Amino acid sequence: MIADSPLVKAFWEHGRLDECPVIDMHGHMGPWPAIYFPRPEPEQMLVSMDQAGVRRLVFSSHEALFSAATGNDYTARVVRRWPDRFSGLMVINGNYMDIVERDMARFDAMRDAFIGLKFLAAYHNVALDDPRYDKVWAFAAERKLLVTCHTWGHGNMNGPAQVRAVAERFPEVRLSMAHSCYGMWEEAAQLARDFPHVYCDLTAVFECRGALELFCERGISRRMLFGTDLPWFSPLQGIGSVLSADITDDDRRNILHRNAESLLAPLLAAGR
Amino acid sequence: MEFWDCNSCFGLPSKPSQSPATCETVDDLTAQLDRAGIVRSISWHVAQHDVAPTIGNRMLAEAIRGKDQLLGCWTVLPPQTGEMPVDQLLADMKSHRIVALRAFPVAHRYLLNGATMGPLLDEMVARRIPLLYSTRRLPASYSGQQAWQDLYNLMAECPELTLIVVDHGSWGCDRYFRPLLDLYERVFVDTSMYYIDGGIEDVVARYGPGRIVYGSGLPERYPGGMMMAIGHAQIDDEAKAAIAGGTLRQLIEEVTL
Repeated sequence: MIADSPLVKAFWEHGRLDECPVIDMHGHMGPWPAIYFPRPEPEQMLVSMDQAGVRRLVFSSHEALFSAATGNDYTARVVRRWPDRFSGLMVINGNYMDIVERDMARFDAMRDAFIGLKFLAAYHNVALDDPRYDKVWAFAAERKLLVTCHTWGHGNMNGPAQVRAVAERFPEVRLSMAHSCYGMWEEAAQLARDFPHVYCDLTAVFECRGALELFCERGISRRMLFGTDLPWFSPLQGIGSVLSADITDDDRRNILHRNAESLLAPLLAAGR
Repeated sequence: MEFWDCNSCFGLPSKPSQSPATCETVDDLTAQLDRAGIVRSISWHVAQHDVAPTIGNRMLAEAIRGKDQLLGCWTVLPPQTGEMPVDQLLADMKSHRIVALRAFPVAHRYLLNGATMGPLLDEMVARRIPLLYSTRRLPASYSGQQAWQDLYNLMAECPELTLIVVDHGSWGCDRYFRPLLDLYERVFVDTSMYYIDGGIEDVVARYGPGRIVYGSGLPERYPGGMMMAIGHAQIDDEAKAAIAGGTLRQLIEEVTL
């Protein structure tokens, strides 16, 4: 196996390292109709997380993504049961603004469970910069929340143009581009360079060899976040990809835990 | 644990993939294989898909000559047009260390069935030559579901064929491939895009370790991703060794040319 450095060698040998924990900034939970997941429940996900040395998972449940009325409550229940292992993102679905209003009204009372918001624009068919979301972005900005946005290249719902539009308007938000505008790597890197509050979430990016190297070469090593879509993708596969990439150990540590630790510290403190 | 890889390629694709990294030459590929510590790899040249199978097959044969680490995988065409007579194909495979075949029936516009490929399929069964089939290298207009239906039809006609389904998608395809594993004992799946969490353990629990084989997915995939998932899966060491290389090695050794 690849063993370019002491860190990589140790990971290959042990599978996990206490001195280099992993923080997964992008997960889900529960079953999903189109895919069989062997380990979709929180107890099973904790097994996978322990297997790979993942200390914390930031997630939005599948139920929250696709059942606006009930799903965020499910997320909150799980976080409250395992507050040291899970942090929640409240899903915003612009097709149901009455529910969004309800959830925003109770968000401050749920800071123990939620560290931010999640947009799934292309799936919900409401663009990131849709005017319906203005008040939600302003709400997140006021609280300096993490907002994780599903992003993908070559679309008009959550591509680089939509990210840029909201990033310019709401610099207080910590904006994580889930999937890093998949396929439009240069544009994603440029967004992270242009805006100090924009991050490249590497979920699914691990399947594209060369993307991690490209991001590091563009100087955004401190803005890359480890993510797996768990229970979709094995954390071990993500970690192995980071180890395989032709980058430095410093970059690897940034990706695996340092960047997430810096990002999460104030958000977790706000919920205590 | 030795890694034998069923799924690598090289050459510049006419249309770049989403992965920024490529292996333009065979030496670029072997450098990546060496770095990953992969002992053997069954490889093909993208020209077999993009340019023409006859040209790509020749390019592959020339590129892997003298490189023991690489075994070849050619692309087939129907024999009726005279482009690729079965006897000639088999003879050439032997002289060029080609141990497996690929088919791209949608891109190359034919039907992968007994009517079209019967004589070749009969030989592949008799000689235990694996067919590597990518469910990902399809035109955008062709649905993944149809590709799986094609494989179901193929296996119904040719149940003893050795089929390795590769690149079967980052969206878990268990609901597609498990019925094939149930029905046909010589159907296998590769790991190159089998990222699903707990998938390896789950497949091994149901089918044993002998139905899933390591595929690096080079040059598009990071080879260490699934190495890590195999190496630290919650299965015993024997099962890990089988997935990493043991089963593929056995499949290769069974091929008679």
